[in-house]
Amino acid sequence: MENKTFIDGSSPHIRGNSSTKRIMLDVIIALAAPFFAGLWFFGFRALLVVFLAVISAYASEVVFNLCCKKTFKQALDIDLTSIVTGFIIGLSLNANAAWYLPVMASVFAVIVVKMLFGGTGNNIVNPAIAGRAFIFISFIGMAASNMASNWLTPDGNVLVGATPLSNMLNGSEAGVSNLDLFLGTNLAGCIGETCKVAIIVGFIYLVIRRVIDFKYPLIYIAVTGLFTVALKGFDFSWFLPSILSGGLMFVAVFMATDYVTSPTTKLGNYIYFVMLGLLTAGLRIACKIEVVTFVVLLMNFVVPFLDKWLVPKPFGNQPKNKEAKA
Amino acid sequence: MMKVKDIALDGLVRQNPTLRLVLGTCPTLALTTLAFNGIGMGLAVTFVLICSNVLVSLLRNVIPDKVRIPAFVLIIATFVTIVSLVLDKFMPDLYETLGVYLPLIVVNCIILARAESFASHNKVGAAALDGLFMGLGFTIALTLMGIVREVLGKGSFFGIKLWNFKIEFFASAAGAFLTYGLLIAIFTVVYNALERKARRKNFSGAFAIHSEEQQLAKEGVNNG
Repeated sequence: MENKTFIDGSSPHIRGNSSTKRIMLDVIIALAAPFFAGLWFFGFRALLVVFLAVISAYASEVVFNLCCKKTFKQALDIDLTSIVTGFIIGLSLNANAAWYLPVMASVFAVIVVKMLFGGTGNNIVNPAIAGRAFIFISFIGMAASNMASNWLTPDGNVLVGATPLSNMLNGSEAGVSNLDLFLGTNLAGCIGETCKVAIIVGFIYLVIRRVIDFKYPLIYIAVTGLFTVALKGFDFSWFLPSILSGGLMFVAVFMATDYVTSPTTKLGNYIYFVMLGLLTAGLRIACKIEVVTFVVLLMNFVVPFLDKWLVPKPFGNQPKNKEAKA
Repeated sequence: MMKVKDIALDGLVRQNPTLRLVLGTCPTLALTTLAFNGIGMGLAVTFVLICSNVLVSLLRNVIPDKVRIPAFVLIIATFVTIVSLVLDKFMPDLYETLGVYLPLIVVNCIILARAESFASHNKVGAAALDGLFMGLGFTIALTLMGIVREVLGKGSFFGIKLWNFKIEFFASAAGAFLTYGLLIAIFTVVYNALERKARRKNFSGAFAIHSEEQQLAKEGVNNG
């Protein structure tokens, strides 16, 4: 049976070597860029936060698998999606976060958002986004969590107060130049989100590996910037700060492009990312806080409908009434 | 004598209104931020349930079939009015917290369902017992949910402060849905395990039941 002249059975007959694991490995490599940038700026605390998030994400998937009566060997053999989830969660936290924040976010993301809905590919919303939203809702009022009020600045001081983005949204000056925002220097923020250069490096890697389409994150970022400019009365000095500050770039590249929770069709994707941009710009100005997390969460729920309504037309398809005439 | 044990088991476990039938979800989700609210709501519903069951059972031969639903609702509304007036007088705090959900007991599906499916076919004693145990099942489920959400979301237990650690997610509406879903899942797992055990115990021996077991096994094979 080895040397068959003819291939029987149904297609596909030739398979690429791409797999979920391989793609996730690419994402991890891309994430390494913002991770090292964060390590450079925030030091050992950043490593600790990311490490805790990744370990607890992995551990919770293994434990869940064991609870589902898989053998130990099967349980350990997971695809890398939960590692990616944990990695993203770690990078989207403040380096000064209390130890239980990354742990709780990862456990919630993997167990509740992903595994309870049926594992990889069946989650309705992006686990990392949901985990982040979970702790954001839960601990926004708690000063002890150091999440919403205290930020660790690169020189090791704890900055009590607002990030450049919230400064701007509340009407005052950003306090930092656009170049600082771009490089992530002298900037308070989440571990992976401050250094835009590193995010762009990761983005280019993902595009070269063809893991993501370069158009979609660019659409999201551009629409956000332009709509902010439009809402501010066509004041173009808003364009760069609005796209360079906050978590917009990180979310646009690594979270919004998640395969499971973005539409399958081209048109669907255009609608999805344009809507993301419009909502981000509009809600940022309306709520005066960073809203990208919740915007992506919101749009994730719309994705199934986009997939349902925008079914691509098969090649050679004709409208029904014509068929009847023929 | 209709078995008391059967009615009790039905109300508390087998047909637990909240955890098995998923009835009355509106107060379940909205009012369980505190364990005490859960108990308050549960007991109010229990009272209305017992009284309406008794009255419906008494009037079951009088009420014409065609207008039975309006008649049931009228009976229920009477008792809800009594409960809300009494609470307003003696427990104004609880009355304030329960708010709009108190008058909404009138349209609570549990009460109407019990009147329709049990009280209108059974004698007064059985109907009263059914109301009691259904109400208790509802109360227990609400209290459990209230305890979980209060401990996690507010860091306290029946108003007694435990610690400063609060996960505010569980105090919010999204947390209510999550807690409810997980509670139903855990309850179902335990329930199924117990039922399987009980069935295995009952089926060993008697011939008639033995064949049923074989049939079950066959079905299992077919499904597999």
